Amino acid sequence: MGAWLRGWRPLLRLAWRDVRRARARSALVLALVALPVLAVTTALVLTATADVTGDEAPERRLGAADARIRVEGLARVGQTADPDRGSAFGEGLRDDLTLAGVGDVLGREVRGIEWESTELSVLVDGRGVRAAGEWIDLRDPLTTGLATLDEGRLPEAPGEVMVNRALADRGPGVGETLTLVDGSTLEVVGVGEDAESRAFPHLWSPQRPDGVPEAQGTTWLVEAGPVTWDEVRALNDRGAFVLSRAVLADPPSAAELHPEVSDGEADDALVAAVVLIVVMVLIEVVLLAGPAFAVTARRQARTLALMAAVGATPAQARRAVLAVAVVLGGLAAVGGVVLGIGLAAALLPFLARWSGSYPGPFDVPWALVLGVACCGLLAALLAAAAPAWLASRADVVAVLAGRRGDAAPSRRSPVLGLLLFAAGVALAVAGTRQDSYGENWVALAAVVCVLGMVLLVPVVLGLLARLGARLPLPLRYAVRDAVRHRTRTVPAVAAVAATVCGVVALGISTSSDAAQSRETYTPQLRHGEAVLVASEATPEQWERAEEVLRAELPEADVSVVTGVPAPTGEGDVHVAYRPPATSEDTWLLGGVGSTLGTTDVVAERIPAALRGLDAAGRARGDAALAQGRVVVFTDEPVEADRVVVTATSYDGRSGEEEVLADEVTLPAAYVVVAEDGGTPFAVLPPASAEELGLPVATTSLHVAGAELDRDRERAVSEAVAATLPWSHLYVERGYFADDFDELVAWVLGALGAVLMVGGTLTVTLLALSDARPDLATLSAVGASPRTRRAVAASYALVVGGTGAVLGALVGFVPGVAAAVTLTRDSYAGPQQVVGPFVEVPWLMIAVVVLLLPLLTAGVVALATRSQLPLVARVD
Amino acid sequence: MTARQQHALLALTHVSRVHGTGATEVRALRDVSFEVAPGELVALMGPSGSGKSTLLHVAGGLDQPTGGSVAVDGTDLSSLGQAERARLRRTTIGYVFQDFNLIPALTAEENVALPGELHGLRSGEAREAARAALAELGVADLADRFPDDLSGGQQQRVAIARAVAGERRLILADEPTGALDTSTGEQILRLLRERCDAGAAGVLVTHEARHAAWADRVVFLRDGVVVDEADAGLTGLAGMTGAR
Ligand SMILES: Nc1ncnc2c1ncn2[C@@H]1O[C@H](COP(=O)(O)OP(=O)(O)O)[C@@H](O)[C@H]1O
Ligand SMILES: [Mg+2]
Repeated sequence: MGAWLRGWRPLLRLAWRDVRRARARSALVLALVALPVLAVTTALVLTATADVTGDEAPERRLGAADARIRVEGLARVGQTADPDRGSAFGEGLRDDLTLAGVGDVLGREVRGIEWESTELSVLVDGRGVRAAGEWIDLRDPLTTGLATLDEGRLPEAPGEVMVNRALADRGPGVGETLTLVDGSTLEVVGVGEDAESRAFPHLWSPQRPDGVPEAQGTTWLVEAGPVTWDEVRALNDRGAFVLSRAVLADPPSAAELHPEVSDGEADDALVAAVVLIVVMVLIEVVLLAGPAFAVTARRQARTLALMAAVGATPAQARRAVLAVAVVLGGLAAVGGVVLGIGLAAALLPFLARWSGSYPGPFDVPWALVLGVACCGLLAALLAAAAPAWLASRADVVAVLAGRRGDAAPSRRSPVLGLLLFAAGVALAVAGTRQDSYGENWVALAAVVCVLGMVLLVPVVLGLLARLGARLPLPLRYAVRDAVRHRTRTVPAVAAVAATVCGVVALGISTSSDAAQSRETYTPQLRHGEAVLVASEATPEQWERAEEVLRAELPEADVSVVTGVPAPTGEGDVHVAYRPPATSEDTWLLGGVGSTLGTTDVVAERIPAALRGLDAAGRARGDAALAQGRVVVFTDEPVEADRVVVTATSYDGRSGEEEVLADEVTLPAAYVVVAEDGGTPFAVLPPASAEELGLPVATTSLHVAGAELDRDRERAVSEAVAATLPWSHLYVERGYFADDFDELVAWVLGALGAVLMVGGTLTVTLLALSDARPDLATLSAVGASPRTRRAVAASYALVVGGTGAVLGALVGFVPGVAAAVTLTRDSYAGPQQVVGPFVEVPWLMIAVVVLLLPLLTAGVVALATRSQLPLVARVD
Repeated sequence: MTARQQHALLALTHVSRVHGTGATEVRALRDVSFEVAPGELVALMGPSGSGKSTLLHVAGGLDQPTGGSVAVDGTDLSSLGQAERARLRRTTIGYVFQDFNLIPALTAEENVALPGELHGLRSGEAREAARAALAELGVADLADRFPDDLSGGQQQRVAIARAVAGERRLILADEPTGALDTSTGEQILRLLRERCDAGAAGVLVTHEARHAAWADRVVFLRDGVVVDEADAGLTGLAGMTGAR
């Protein structure tokens, strides 16, 4: 071992000197390896820091207390060390655990204060704004750390409130009055900040105002000495979730956890995605750095031959090239990590400001960061592997005689490449046949295809060279040169191809995904219309909301939709309809819609808001309603004029069921609706509803004929929220692409373009500097600077163009497979399976395959013009 | 000529080397046989392209003959693997070339120590041997300089130091004076002669008859064939110059 290490010493020394001599080339490799390491390290440190986990900053959630105990009382519970991050309900339990009861479980005296949290709506300029209400006495020392006071004083009496900056900036400040949506008022005595979040409006008061609904369950902050894991388990059995300071500091092992609870950390799909990304980045870095090492090996050829002459074995020659990778990869890994951590530290304040929450203590996840550094080193070693192997096989005598010592190309690798590629295609096809996790198969297929493609690049270049005989001189020269210098051209072409392959594959799968969303989009309403739904609203609130809508949207047609209210926590009325002489589980509609806040509309006419039925159907429906018939919607025509109705009500509090109407037969008309109509079950005439004993109320307000852009939608929503706090205004805008998805697509596309152009440029410049003697010869035999420029541009064109075409072709395999896998099961309305959708973004592919290589060639031509300045610097 | 009676350090028997096949076939060496004994310096002469360099490469195991056998210190090279032939170059055989002899990224001392270090010697040990060799060749003061900062003659001295450092006993020099001026060339040849007088065996490729005077024996090559082997006639000249 010692001798083995000693053997590396002179090689590392040699590598170190070479790295210092070839500054530009070394800087290139350093950047290629260090940048991804830096980016990933920064991301890891920032997420680890932003993520306040374990015993980081417990005071933000616990204050000065030993534990936070939350009792739901409905079931035995299970939890991880941190109940906010993993908990489960067990079997039922009716237990009202009190603070004294907690003391009994712990077997010691506990002091505690109650802490209630509810969401509420406050009025700001006549509009309703959601806010988080914390009903706790902040003067109690147990709360120290939960919130800070910045201005004024802490609220002491009921009716006094402290608000955070986000709320104070929109509404009342210290000394002013805060109005809740129910009209009650609170006096603002202070402005402060929550320890965890500051983006969302927050307010604190010792006591919940009467108008604000009570929270479910009870929470205490307790002072009880350290609460151990066993005690936490005992409290779990009484239906309480416990956040214990002592347990956070010393969490139980996974084996001690309740079997149903998990931290949710080992997400298979996420792990697979991360592994895939790491592999792809590794491949990309390896391929981009490969040409630099190929040139390194070529520059070292003389040295390696001399070393062979003084007795270096082929293995030592190989290690001499790898030693450069060790030096550069090591430097890049260490540098990337150090700079990454530094960058994270520098970015932290901006991140905190932008995210509206407070990052935890600076946290470097060393194990992960070390892994990233190792990946960087590995990438450098892999990039140097092929050049090192070729260098060790070089013909020493030939090199010593001043000739090139390239070993003959391998005949096995193209065969292996074909096999790999075929395996990739097979995997992709198999992936489209999987019921689940098909995406993972396709991702693996992508990696295998790319690896196969890399091995096939020499064959493609060889073919190109054979065709090259007919090309004009600059292109012919570039092709021949590219083929002759396989070691630097192949990874370059492969790098470009791998990038393009990824871009094309992602492009096909995302545009197919978008096509699916577009094709299967089911509008809830006619285009441009809107509907306002709300839960638990009183008739007066509905009336006021209607007035607000009419005032805000004077040009609009506002109509009231009434029906059997949709289910709430309080209870649920379920109505079932079937034609006479059919079984009880007959379904007339494959899919039912509750866009209007109800599935059972009660009205004298078919509401205008209903879509999915034609004019004739509407006329039939209106006529039937006028005759006092129930209009029942159906997918298929039904020959009947009566309907059997069963209605059951369920009380959410007591859990009791009551049959309101048992198999009551009523006169009816069956109206066929479009399958994707999202229609309710039926429209009942008011008399029928009364006969059945159904509760009837306003369920929504329908708005037609209004121009509702996003700003106006928000203004109207907030205006309505002032009277109807739990309301939602839905505006039908038809299908539009998700902003975020579009952004991701753009970022990926831009990244791909940068990688592609960067890769092509890098390799072209490396190649040109390597080929300087040949270019000098060209000049010597009378080639004009223009020819030289054309040769340089041709080189970029050959590398970029070949890579782009090859990559685009290969990219179709995983792209189409992913598209099929992702969009195979699409439902355009109930039961109707359409798809898979495969949409190829031809424009994007054309840009990548045609425009980018030409662009790069243009850049190279310009850069080559005056005395090859760029070339001269990269040696 | 007592040297010739001793057991030969380098023995080539019916060696031939053919490059390529068919129309592009080049017979660089044809049926070449000769021996070099310890203490003997053999000059190899012939026109350009006659196979001199090929012969040296074959003799040092850098290249393999297509026919015949090469034995170094009694060991048939064809019986050795690539790694063992490399080992022989680290321990027994030393090469000196016309130019590009030294690795530019290493200092003179590191260049000389390289074979030892590659052989797995401790760095200190290898450097000590290197300094000793440099001192013997009178260039101890150049130890820490890089090749680019050395003159051609100085480089060649360092190269010889590398070729003889340790226990190397076969020195293969391919036109070591080709890139040097006359007087510097003479000094280099004197050094080679001294090493051989100290017991090493040497093969010196040259195309200048003057230089051959330093040798004990001259072998003439033409088109890969030994056309003449002279150990007389020039000996007096060698003795005369040697006495200078
Ligand atoms: N790798 C090779 N392939 C083909 N011919 C070669 C090769 N190496 C040397 N030769 C040929 O072998 C002959 C001898 O070359 P060489 O030994 O270098 O001659 P010298 O050193 O005497 O000038 C020459 O004709 C040369 O062209
Ligand atoms: Mg020669």
